[in-house]
This record gives sequence, C-alpha cells and structure tokens, in this order.
Amino acid sequence: MDRQTAGELPLAAPPRVTTATAGARRWRSLREALTGYGFAAPYLLLFTVFLAAPIVASLVISFTDFSLGAIDDPADARFVGLQNYRDLAADEKFRSAAVNTAYFVAAGVPLTMAAGLAAAVGLNSQVVRFRALFRVGYYTPVVMSIVAIAVVWRYLLDVDVGLLNNALEAVGLPRVAWLSTPGLAMPSIILIAVWRNLGFAMVIFLAGLQGIPQETSEAARIDGAGRWQEFRHVTLPLLRPTLAFVAVVTSAGYLQLFEEPFVMTGGGPVDRTISVAMHMYEQGFGFFNLGYAGAIAYVLFVAILVLTVLQLRLFRSAT
Amino acid sequence: MRSMRWLAAVLAAALLAACGGGGDEGGGTDQPTTITVWAMGAEGEKLNTLATEFTRQNPSITVRVTPITWDVAHQKLITSVAGRQTPDVSQLGTTWMAEFAKLGALEEVPDSIKAADFFEGAWNTNVVEGKAIGVPWYVETRVLYYRTDLASKAGAKMPPASWQELQDAATKIKKVTGKYGIGMLPNAAGTWQEFMPFVWQNGGDVVDASGNPTLNSPQVVEALEQYTAFYKQGLAPKNATQGFAVESGFVAGDYGMFFSGPWHVGILNDTGKRIEGKWAIAPMPREQAGTSFVGGSNLVVFNASNNKDAAWKFVEFAARPETQALWYKTVADLPANKAAWDSGELAAQEDLKVFRAQLDDAKSAPSVATWEQFAAKMNDQIERAALGRSTPQEAAAAMQQDAQGLLLQK
Repeated sequence: MDRQTAGELPLAAPPRVTTATAGARRWRSLREALTGYGFAAPYLLLFTVFLAAPIVASLVISFTDFSLGAIDDPADARFVGLQNYRDLAADEKFRSAAVNTAYFVAAGVPLTMAAGLAAAVGLNSQVVRFRALFRVGYYTPVVMSIVAIAVVWRYLLDVDVGLLNNALEAVGLPRVAWLSTPGLAMPSIILIAVWRNLGFAMVIFLAGLQGIPQETSEAARIDGAGRWQEFRHVTLPLLRPTLAFVAVVTSAGYLQLFEEPFVMTGGGPVDRTISVAMHMYEQGFGFFNLGYAGAIAYVLFVAILVLTVLQLRLFRSAT
Repeated sequence: MRSMRWLAAVLAAALLAACGGGGDEGGGTDQPTTITVWAMGAEGEKLNTLATEFTRQNPSITVRVTPITWDVAHQKLITSVAGRQTPDVSQLGTTWMAEFAKLGALEEVPDSIKAADFFEGAWNTNVVEGKAIGVPWYVETRVLYYRTDLASKAGAKMPPASWQELQDAATKIKKVTGKYGIGMLPNAAGTWQEFMPFVWQNGGDVVDASGNPTLNSPQVVEALEQYTAFYKQGLAPKNATQGFAVESGFVAGDYGMFFSGPWHVGILNDTGKRIEGKWAIAPMPREQAGTSFVGGSNLVVFNASNNKDAAWKFVEFAARPETQALWYKTVADLPANKAAWDSGELAAQEDLKVFRAQLDDAKSAPSVATWEQFAAKMNDQIERAALGRSTPQEAAAAMQQDAQGLLLQK
C-alpha cells in the first residue's frame, strides 16, 4: 500500500547528482511526500468520512442515551456514562444473543475449517477427477447472495413443504421442524453456514498446500511416513500460517452472524437463534435506541478483537 | 465549448426545478404547487390513480408519489425527519403515530376533518396526548376464517359464539383433518395482534384509563390460558416457520380456522378451485365482548412541509367517502370513513358486511412511542407461554414488568 502510493513511483532512478544541495534534497523529499499524500488522499478522505468518523461517533454515542427523541436534534442526548453497558449485562435477550453467537462461532469455525481443509486436500491430491468442476461446486455458494441462499434453505427445510422433509418421509422417517424446534434451529443454521463458507477456506488452503515444497513431503515418505503421518506432521505444521489466517477471518465473520437467522428464523424459536448483530440491528434501526446499539457494537468489537489476538497467539506459540 | 453550454443548460434546469419544488409559500389555490406523498406497498404502487383524480379536481396542485416498501418504510421515515427531508404527506402505520408525535414531526389535524366520520378505533390511533395528528386512510380488522366443508363434516357449530365453542370447533375439526384444528402464529411479528383480541374480549387491556399497565390482571392471565390452550392441546401447530403464510395449511386442509384481516379474502380467492365456495368468514367469538384488533394506515402532514394547505387538501380528498369507495375499487383497502360503506358493493357484499360489523367493535394498541419495542417483548412472552416454557401467570407478570419499563417511560 505505502509502496505504491508514497515515494517510489515518481522517482524513476536513484538520484546521482552530486551537486544537489541539502535544500534541494529536502525540497525533493517534501515533494515526494506530498505526491504520496496526494495519491493516498482519496482513500484517506473516504476512510475518514465513512469509517473513522462513524466509528468514533458510535463510541461516543454508546455513552449517551441517544434514542428516538434525539434523532432530530442530537443535542437532546445526555451522557449516561456506563449505563448502556450496565443495562446490557442485565438484558436477557442480549445474553441469549451472546450465547447463541458463541455457539455459532465455537461450532461453526472448526467445522468450516475442517470441511474446507478436507476439500482442499482432496482436490490437491492427484486422485480426484473433474477437479475444476468440484472446485467450482464448492466455491459457488461463496459468491451467491447470502439472502437468496437463506430464503432457499428456509424452503428446503420447511416442515410442511420442504424437500428435505419430503425425502425423509419418502424413506419412512418422521418430518422434522428444522428451523422451528428450539434445539435444532441453530445446528441447522451452522450447517448451512459451513456449506456456504467452506469454499472460501478451501481456496485459501489450496493455495497453502501448493506452497508446501514437494521435497518435504517426499522426504517424509522416504522416511516411511504413512499418509496420515505425513498430513499430521508435515502438511499441518507447514499450513500453520494459512490455518491462522482462515481461523481469524472466519471467526471475525461468524461473530457478525446476521443474515441467516434474520431471514430464516427471525431470531426464534424462543430467541434460540438471535445473534448479537441482530439484537444490535433491532435496537438501533428497529427502535432507534442508538446509544444502546452503540454499546452492543462495541462489546461485539471487543469480542472480535480479543478472539483474533487469542487465535494469533495460539497459532504462533506452537511454532 | 459545446459541453460548457450543455452544462449551463443542466444547471439552469436544476435551479428551476429546485425553485419549483420547494419555493412556494402557502400553496395558494392558483399558484402551481407540487406536493410529495410517500406511500407503502400496494398503496404506493396504485396511489397515482388517486393523484390523477386529485389533480383533475385541483389543476394547480401536482402530486408526486414516492412508493416505498414496508420493510424499509419505518427507517426511511425516521431518517427523513432526522435529515429534515420529509415529504409533505405520508402514509403511516397505525402503531407508529406516537413515535412521530414524539419527534414533533406532525401537524395537528384541522377542524374541517371530523372524528365522527371515521371508525372510533381507527380514529383513536391518531390521537396522541389528546391531539389528533393524522387521519385514518384505510382500516383492517381481524375476523375468523373457517372451512365450511371441514366444519360441517366435523359437526362443529359455526360460527363459534364463545371461547368454549371456538375450542370445541377446533377439537372437532382436528379429528377430521388428523392434524390440527386452527392455524395460529406464535412466533410472528404480529403475534400480539392475534393475542390482544383475546384480552379485549375478556374485558382486559394493556393499560388502564390513566396509562398504567394492567397486564398482570386476571383477565389477561385467562386470555393467555385460552390462547396457549390451543397449542398445549395440539389444536394449533407450534412450529409455524418464520415467513410462512397461514393460508397454506388452511388450503391444504391441515386445519380449518384462522384469524386474519381482509387481505386474506383476496389471497384465498386467488388460490383457485381447491377451496372455492368451501370457506366463509365470521365475526370474533364473544366472551365479555367480541372485540377484534383494528389496524391499517393513516395519512399525516409533516410540519416541515412548505405546502401545508395543499397537503391537507390532498388528505381531505383521500378521506372523503367517494374517494374511499374509489380506493376500495383500486386496491381493495377497506374505507376508514363510515359513510363510504353506505352504498355500492361495500354495502351489499356478504364478506364485507362481516368486516363492517366487526369494525364497530375493534381496538388498537395504546398510542405510546415505545409500543413497537414493547410489542416485540410481548411477542417473546406469548411465544414462551405458547411453547410451554412459562406459565400464563409468569408470562403475564413478565409482560407487566416490561410494560412498566417501556410504556411508562416518557
């Protein structure tokens, strides 16, 4: 990023002029810096206006009672210190949302990674035919509209008209209300998320696998390692940076779970699939309790930050 | 050079348009005026019919219609108030009135529009802290839909006159369908609208005359007992999936009754031959009263409007009996103005007579700015009780606590 924008571009060759005075040099470096900032300016401007400012504003708002009454005149909002955060601690719905989100991440991330890795290893071996076809097949859900996917799955899983239940009935099994049985709704959503996201993990793992030198694997095989031993002691350790990347990106994405429950269950049954992001949306844009929603946003932000740091630690310390 | 001239022309046009749109003061009858009207869903799509008729009668006023979808309407309207970019006139959901009143965004209704012309329940949704800030546009109320074929096969007495008869009918119909008796929605956004009639029918309410919550009253507990009994006895499906329509099971014959509003007449007629002539509608069962829920939409004028006179003229036009009858023909919205029901199809048709009668005994939610927020919590408690996760007493106590926190706060 800084390489492309600041410095090197305007200079075609290193300066060889021996007569350059200190003043001229300073002028040149200033001009270089200005050129650099010039190139960076459009991005910096957009970043400040659309990201940095709202991020700071929402932090400030999270310490106020900003709600409907303050919408037309923000001066009506009062600072309430940590009240929003204290209210959150007592909010039963937030507690369910936090538990559900943790469940989704704890089960969904390992499953997605395992499925993605399995697909990548399979496609990387020379055994499988029609590899391009499989690669497209696994990756397609990633680029499809998530809302469209959620709507289609809602139909597929429906208790009365769903294809899956029709199939179950055809082989003599009872119909199951996947999305409206409290204990089954979240597992259903997790499986759909795994199916949707394993393609992304697979592509990254494939790149990682192709970066493992052939010699290492060969050496392991010559030393008498079986397939599993080779995978466990050669492939996995060498994939560590890739694993870390996929774990961090997938976790950060999964912590923001929203569309699937929003479209498929509306957070039900009995709040068993409501997520932190959904609760935040409902409070912020449904009821316009923006102070409270800001507090939820910052709790979620801290959770993502902590989990990311922990994961990076975990994957680094073992090397 | 040429592009410069083109640019100048565009700028000049934009300037003229800007002056034409916002510059008029007062909207005198002869001065050409444009008013903006926002409307949702089917109303938004068809409103041009009314706009054309209005401009024919008032050639100096042009109506610009902006259709918006229901799912974004609430947000869009709130943001427009925050950004001071409101339309002149808008359609508002009946449960949103207090919120916009709290924002101080709405004009008070002029004396020329009379409360007595409209259904009382519908008019009351416009009254916030004693002031009328909107005019009922169209109404809807819930009635009982039932399958005549299944009911007669089951030997059920139709229509049920009391809760007991309703439950007996559901039990008998269940024996015929083999699945359920009545279709209900324990986990929908509108669950409270299905539940509140039971409370009103039993003489209970959300708040008393002075605005204090009364949700832990015996009337509410009994209403919850009756409502949840349908689920506990397997008479109603517990696991209706989010987003699925109640009529599918009705058409398929999984159950023989459900509560809904006038839109289901059209939906059931559109399902074709399968149940043609095999269903009917009836008023709510009576316990202490036969009260139903009244919803619909109101028309409001924003106080940020520069053309208030023209805006009220449009609202008055839309609320007139002739216009309401025309509007019924256009989108089948039921008129809020009682006089519109006195002639034509609205006076003659059997189904419509049921709605007309029910509208005389229909209530709405109290006009409180935090109502939607409370309603979401109320839905949670109803669902918990319906699924047997809490007793009716516990659910009522929890509702009362939520109401004290949300409905009393100013």
